[in-house]
Amino acid sequence: MTDEIEVRKSTLYITGIVLLILVGGFFMLKVENSNSSGNLVDAGNGEAQKITLSMKNYNYYPNTVKVEVGKPVRIYLDSSVVGCYRSFTIRDFGIAKYLKTPNDYVEFTPTKKGTYTFACSMGMGTGKLIVE
Amino acid sequence: MTFKNFVKELNGEGVEGELVKTIFISLTTSFFILGVLYMFKLRYIENFIPKYGFYLFFIILSYALILPSLRHVRAYKEFPCMSGMMIGMTIGMIAGFLPGFFMASTNGMFWGSLFGMSTGILFGIWNGKCCGIMGIMEGMMAGFMGGLMGAMTSIMMFNDNLKLAGVVIFVVSAFILSGLNYLIYSESKQLERKHKDGEFFTIFWSLLLTAITIWLSVFGPRSALLQ
Repeated sequence: MTDEIEVRKSTLYITGIVLLILVGGFFMLKVENSNSSGNLVDAGNGEAQKITLSMKNYNYYPNTVKVEVGKPVRIYLDSSVVGCYRSFTIRDFGIAKYLKTPNDYVEFTPTKKGTYTFACSMGMGTGKLIVE
Repeated sequence: MTFKNFVKELNGEGVEGELVKTIFISLTTSFFILGVLYMFKLRYIENFIPKYGFYLFFIILSYALILPSLRHVRAYKEFPCMSGMMIGMTIGMIAGFLPGFFMASTNGMFWGSLFGMSTGILFGIWNGKCCGIMGIMEGMMAGFMGGLMGAMTSIMMFNDNLKLAGVVIFVVSAFILSGLNYLIYSESKQLERKHKDGEFFTIFWSLLLTAITIWLSVFGPRSALLQ
């Protein structure tokens, strides 16, 4: 009889814990809006498509960029991009360069449509380059 | 002395019987203070729940896991060196890692590390002293490492499933702390209880830790990139 009461007491606490977690989780686990957005592509005067990436929430911003196939692409990192994020890589195009100042850039011409990943050399900041 | 006996003891009247109750009281207190602050102040902050809700939720759960272990160790007070070092190291590491991880997610690496190290070293020393200077040293070092590692992990996961990583880390830590409770149970079965903390102990620490965490997360200093 005593055992039954003890089990019930413990069960009551466990039920309480589960309820608290469920109710707390219901109110507190809401999803934040994504920070992905369009792009900052500047087609220019028929020359390179210029893109300037900045930094937001510990990532490149915008982190989804669209470019046209067959046209040269030039990517700059503005002054908000700091630390190892300035070491910019696009593995699929064989690009790996430390862009020391906002005037430094990487340039390449995508010749194939598809989605490619750009990242810092440590892979902490990443984004998508969509070639259309 | 098997795990089955330990589970049975969780329903008993002994020290182990207070573990589940402590989790319940800690969660109740933390959610209560969060609810009160939300009603009067936090709900006026734009995007409070989407921005801070997840991290505060898991940090509250973390405190609810750490405090029962603390109470468990305090009940027996003294342990042999080997177990005492393990106790100091485990609690120091987890009490540094979890707060460091979740605080760094909202405030950046420096403040996450600082907060994680502070809680880790505090709880590491407090628990490690059950076996003397060796446990104190072990707890202090583990708290220091845990705080730094938690914050570092958080920043490195920032663009790679940070929230999922938080859940995984929390679940793993929960298993480790359950293991520690079992270790304390196995090592102390022949010992007599030397100290009894009232429920006020749990309420006080839950209240203090949650209040400091909320204040730091929402109003505290943060890295330039998270401003």
